[in-house]
Amino acid sequence: MTGTLSAAATPVMDRLISRSVEKHRPLSVHFDLTYRCNERCVHCYLDHQDHGELTTAECLKVLEDLARSGTLFLTFSGGEIFLRPDLYEILAAARRLHFDISLKTNALLVTPERAARLGEFGVRRVQISIYSDLPAVHDAITKVPGSLQRTLAAIPILLQYRLQVKLACPLMQENLMAYRGVIALAEKLGIPYILDLTITPMMDGSSGPLAHRASVSSLLPVLRDPALQACKPRPNAQPDGAVNALPPAFGSAVSSGMESPAYNDLPCSAGHNSCYISPYGDVFPCVQLPQAAGNLRREKFDDIWYHAPQLQRLRAIRESQLPICSRCEIRSYCERCPGLALMEGGNLLGAYERACALAEEKARLAGVAVPVSALHRERDTASVPTTPDAEFAFLAADSSSH
Amino acid sequence: MSTPATVFWQKNPALAWREIDDETVIISPHDSVMHELNDTGSFLWKNIDGKKSAAELAVLLVENYEVTPDIALSDTQALLEEMSSRKLVVMVPETAGVSP
Repeated sequence: MTGTLSAAATPVMDRLISRSVEKHRPLSVHFDLTYRCNERCVHCYLDHQDHGELTTAECLKVLEDLARSGTLFLTFSGGEIFLRPDLYEILAAARRLHFDISLKTNALLVTPERAARLGEFGVRRVQISIYSDLPAVHDAITKVPGSLQRTLAAIPILLQYRLQVKLACPLMQENLMAYRGVIALAEKLGIPYILDLTITPMMDGSSGPLAHRASVSSLLPVLRDPALQACKPRPNAQPDGAVNALPPAFGSAVSSGMESPAYNDLPCSAGHNSCYISPYGDVFPCVQLPQAAGNLRREKFDDIWYHAPQLQRLRAIRESQLPICSRCEIRSYCERCPGLALMEGGNLLGAYERACALAEEKARLAGVAVPVSALHRERDTASVPTTPDAEFAFLAADSSSH
Repeated sequence: MSTPATVFWQKNPALAWREIDDETVIISPHDSVMHELNDTGSFLWKNIDGKKSAAELAVLLVENYEVTPDIALSDTQALLEEMSSRKLVVMVPETAGVSP
């Protein structure tokens, strides 16, 4: 037959990811429309002041460029997206350009009329941040009294308009054990959820939000919960095996990178087939990897995506070549994030304390007798390299044949 | 009454889709099912605009690919029927459609 049509989400998605990685197509883009917000979450990594957001016309131009470049999956987030008065104009343009549209919101401003419009614009999925099923816990994190009640009231409205709703629950000191209530809430509503153990520094690198991060030892009850399978090694856990294949309950509530075994030896999707665009037009590999590759007010998206040195360097990295982590015996328990390695360890290629400590605890709980990460083992023997630039020069040269 | 030959086809406007390197991926927003078209399927998809019948699409196929008119028409009709069953395309009767 001349023209063929195939379906089934996972194989199609894996093929799509493989092709997009191979040819560096920006398949998935996370576009923050504003950093302004009507909540003041204690752990937030954003500066909520408006420092000159892209205008409506500039946003529409970005969307046209992304469509031309092959972006299919588009996530609008913030800040709180409903604070953009031109949100519907932007969504209408995204609809005309045939994007698969997802939104991230706190849902405080959702009304039946707004939900109906989201449906009209073909929004497929809405991810809502929930920190607890208890108002006292949730509202203390958002610093908005009554916010849980308002957010929960929005969910049935969105479902009524056939929008897929997903709960995202970042876990921190203030709500560590609230995950059980959030899971129960999601199951009661019949909707998926994601738990996120990642609390990141501010995008400017300052460490304020980290004061709310739960210590590794305090996470043990969560890691031990058999329902969450937090200590299950990653599927195909081989030295060169799958990456980023997190247990079903866990993942990033922030990044929009897609998880798939198709990434093989890549640390993650950032810069390979996904990227992040700030409200000011800065293009980053990921919201958790704040190294700006260019600005869309000055350059075309394709010029940044295909030619920015920051992205080309990132594409050269292979997990099997990481100076420390490639030698780690408990790699399959690790959820190392390149962005956090840079922000917390100062080295995009390096190991960082938090990931290593978490991997050791997960491996221990899974029955590994003496789990010691390569970072800790080599630090004990003082063999950890300390020259990131030299490490990178080695990788960049070695990867030129890829 | 319209016959199949005079029915025009258009894409379901609710779909998300993108052509990436000669192949097209289509997503149904309500069930999140992904569909994939090969290069000739993508060619037909690009030309499905509410103004062309299966026969007209088949002619375009013949003009751009090495395929006989009979096979082009039968393959085009088969693909349109398959896409219609998956609600990826909808029929537009000639009387109600956009003038070709």
